Amino acid sequence: MNKLLGLALGVLTAIGGFLDIGDLVTNSVVGSRFGLTLGWVVIVGVVGICLFAQMSGRVAAVSGRATFEIIRERLGPRAGVANLAASFLINLMTLTAEVGGVALALQLASSIEPWLWMPVAAFAVWLVVWRVKFSIMENVTGLLGLTLIVFAVALFLLHPDWMQLATQAFQPSVAPAGAVPEAGTTYWYYAIALFGAAMTPYEVFFFSSGAVEEKWSIKDLGESRLNVLVGFPLGGILSLAIAAGAAVVLLPKQIAVTSLSQVVLPVAEAGGKLAIAFVLVGIVAATFGAALETTLSSGYTLAQFFGWSWGKFRKPAQAARFHIAMIICLLIGLGVLATGVDPVAVTEFSVVFSAIALPLTYLPILLVANDPQYMGKYVNGRVTNAFGMVYLVIILVASLAAIPLMIITGAGA
Amino acid sequence: MIARRQQAGANPRRIDARLSLLDRQVLDADRVPVQVVGDLELSHVSLDHPIPPGTPAPVITALLSGPVLATRIFGGRPPTSRLHRIDWADVAEIDVALSLSVRGDTLDVTWVERWVSEHIIGRIPGGHSDPQ
Repeated sequence: MNKLLGLALGVLTAIGGFLDIGDLVTNSVVGSRFGLTLGWVVIVGVVGICLFAQMSGRVAAVSGRATFEIIRERLGPRAGVANLAASFLINLMTLTAEVGGVALALQLASSIEPWLWMPVAAFAVWLVVWRVKFSIMENVTGLLGLTLIVFAVALFLLHPDWMQLATQAFQPSVAPAGAVPEAGTTYWYYAIALFGAAMTPYEVFFFSSGAVEEKWSIKDLGESRLNVLVGFPLGGILSLAIAAGAAVVLLPKQIAVTSLSQVVLPVAEAGGKLAIAFVLVGIVAATFGAALETTLSSGYTLAQFFGWSWGKFRKPAQAARFHIAMIICLLIGLGVLATGVDPVAVTEFSVVFSAIALPLTYLPILLVANDPQYMGKYVNGRVTNAFGMVYLVIILVASLAAIPLMIITGAGA
Repeated sequence: MIARRQQAGANPRRIDARLSLLDRQVLDADRVPVQVVGDLELSHVSLDHPIPPGTPAPVITALLSGPVLATRIFGGRPPTSRLHRIDWADVAEIDVALSLSVRGDTLDVTWVERWVSEHIIGRIPGGHSDPQ
């Protein structure tokens, strides 16, 4: 019974932990402009993150090595430093977006200006990283994040034209009925943004370091695989529900998503104040959880690259550089937000830059997952490698196309 | 460059120093991370003269760290006084990571960690308590 409860808990937190500010904003923007015509990208992204997370989790459980230790060992100093710089900066950008997201969600709940919430949110993130046990941190934010299921409930309450949504999803076209016609390049730009939102690299740093934090071993592999393979696809369905809600409510009225209040508009229209209460709890939990994950990831990447002692399982004084790095990153994020930059805009850029940086983390993991020195008999099987190669191509194409598309489309304007 | 494993009792095994030593994680006797191998110190290699035949092969005398990342990328070498050494004799085992037979907090290389711990992190309330 306890075992079953543990399994259920793992799956539920994986669902709740799947969504972050990037998924919320990008799915909503895409839904309001393209309907469900980009739904296939969410599915491609979810399969990709399942593959990628499962592989990095297995590497961590078998060899006890987290992603960034491996990146330096495998790529050497030159490519390793370039990789660290890119991954670290994009992670910092995501961290900034998540802390801003917490503040925006709290603003919707309280009508207090977001710049007053930002320091509170950042301090709360630090306090949890400083004091709270890893598993409690993961479970609480994951379970509270489950209230985002209200997005799916709202979709049913809206009584949408299911046939129309299905047509959009299964016969994708750049201009679905009722929408403003968009350029093909804009469509593909948002395809990359959506792909980057589903496959954010920090999830992989966090997942593999978390496996080391929680001292996974080979016997935990089955459980971790179940969490990923069930939890993430269900999280992906929530992503699709957000896009579908936006397609039903925002798209016909041509409402552009420029802030969180438009993201929650479909839920408000369907379920009123009660639904809004649920969705705000969910957004605060999801963005706060992601802010914790990105803060920890900034410490993980630096400490693992330079070989410092790291981990929440140690006393802070025994992982001093790891903790000071996280404090500095939070302060930098707060400084960026203090300039008055719009967190939603930061989010939109961060998901595209995530797509650009994906090959940097993906390739070393694929190499090590095939290396018997690290993995023994747990190297990738043929099916995993076949998928791995297909995704390597997809990730490379998305990464290379992202910057040209960003310039051509004026960042999706 | 070939390093020969010097552990007593184990069969000598040939490993590629570039592949299996450089950029590898170093763990201390308690499995606490210490550093990443930045560079290696070799015994008596004369750089300016041709090496006469019959000269014994150089051996690794220490693991180095410090400002070596920049010099490995851009060339040149930092002054010896800026480098931190871990004696090769203290290396107990070479696997995917290198294990030492000594504790990390006795080594010079961890002074930054100790300084940050004593002066900043250790002074914040809760810095010395277990996160459990």
